[in-house]
Amino acid sequence: MGYVAIKGGGRAIAGAAEVTEFLRAEQGEGSEPLEIATIVHQLRHLVSRVVSEGGVYHPEFAALSIKQSLGDTLEAAFALRAWRSTQPRLLETPLLDTANMRLIRRISSAFKDIPGGQMLGPTPDYALRLLRMELIDESPESFRAVARRWLAELPEERLPDSFPKVLDALREEGLLPPVSEHRASVAFDITREPLVFPVPRCAALSTMARGETGSLLGIAYSNMRGYGDVHPTVAELRVGYLPVLLPHPVTGELIEAGEVLLTECEVVAMYDAAEGGGKPVFTVGYGACFGHNEVKAISMAILDRALQKGMRDGPDNPSEDPEFVLLHVDGVDSMGFATHYKMPHYVTFQSDMDRLRTTQRKSRAKESA
Amino acid sequence: MHIPRKDWLRVLTAHPVAALAELSGRLAAGWTLTYLALPQAGLGLLKLRDGAFHEPYYLGEFPIACCRVRVQLPGDVAVEGAAQVMADAPALAQALAVLDAILAARLPGWQEVAALANEGASKRAEEDRRRRAMLAGTRVDFALLGATEEDEDEY
Repeated sequence: MGYVAIKGGGRAIAGAAEVTEFLRAEQGEGSEPLEIATIVHQLRHLVSRVVSEGGVYHPEFAALSIKQSLGDTLEAAFALRAWRSTQPRLLETPLLDTANMRLIRRISSAFKDIPGGQMLGPTPDYALRLLRMELIDESPESFRAVARRWLAELPEERLPDSFPKVLDALREEGLLPPVSEHRASVAFDITREPLVFPVPRCAALSTMARGETGSLLGIAYSNMRGYGDVHPTVAELRVGYLPVLLPHPVTGELIEAGEVLLTECEVVAMYDAAEGGGKPVFTVGYGACFGHNEVKAISMAILDRALQKGMRDGPDNPSEDPEFVLLHVDGVDSMGFATHYKMPHYVTFQSDMDRLRTTQRKSRAKESA
Repeated sequence: MHIPRKDWLRVLTAHPVAALAELSGRLAAGWTLTYLALPQAGLGLLKLRDGAFHEPYYLGEFPIACCRVRVQLPGDVAVEGAAQVMADAPALAQALAVLDAILAARLPGWQEVAALANEGASKRAEEDRRRRAMLAGTRVDFALLGATEEDEDEY
């Protein structure tokens, strides 16, 4: 049985697009369309999700894709990736170090006194999760006054532009495994090469960096709850702007082409005896993503640690299995598979029904014989 | 204010694209521009060093616009300028490349570019100040329970 080409849906499809567009504007007379800058600034975490899951740091286009998809993060990430697929790859940065980030937040749950100090920055961690009813009728004047008031009260304390890493201090004390001997090697580009297992750790990091937040959290949570054994301590969680440095085409000197907001998390987990009977050291995990998304960075760090164990000793649970984790965390991939079931399956379902009826007929014949 | 060449792009991009394009177009009117690399927009790949084992990996991509230009003035003076800027507008890279050449060789009108750069430096300094304030205003002052005025306020 082959597939049969059919037609007749063109008008319905065009109508569906118009209805969706109508819903976007349904608020009617007197309403204003969402401005891109408004989405970028007031829906920061939504934009963060889309730049990271879309794999391209373009906050304005992420906001545009959020606007056109009516806030659907998976559709928005899909549109951003579709745009990126039309763009030529012009260059690659030199190896950049996140120690140079201009931080807006930096905490550690390992030590209270970390070099440079702990700064909470913008976080809802200590806020009560109560609805703020006053925002329902927020006036433009009171809204603008919030920023004005904060700017009028800026503390003048001089702080450095960047801060040392907590892990570096632990490493100096000999409590961590040594840095990789392969650090000068070329990284794996998941946008150009297929994931054929086994894959190197750098491919796993890239895949998780643009993975879907909920998928990463779900699998990491399975590990934390007991299917795995990672009970991490957050050595450092930092949020800030990383200068993107590129060599000047004329002078060769590194210049700042722009900056990206990113979240980075380094976790320390239960110690292991070193291979070959060396001294035991803590195990470590690493997570990072574009934008401000702490749940994603922490989940990725836990999964990095779990996958290291799986790659070394073989997986004991799904979160340690590179193939299971890396092939199921991509939002655009998994969303595409789920939504394809909405497409017509008339022929295959007809075939299923034919087989069921035949089986039922045979069953009845057997019973009556 | 002396601003090193490596910072020119950061301070100039504190201004709107239209302002940069206008200045570059006005100053370079009548000069011959030869493109050594055509203005182009595309993507760059961001390579990071992971914090756990210091291995390289790719975090993702970012928009990038590039241009390299030779600016020829009447009287055989020729200088090169270039720009690689995080944006998806080739015209921005082209404008910045011309301004880069003007500042580097102090071509006619360089004082206007320098003034714009200084103004941009002030804007960036203010941006940096706001970010540092986010840290300074939320610095955790660990102390034993009951040892600070904050505790008295709370209980």
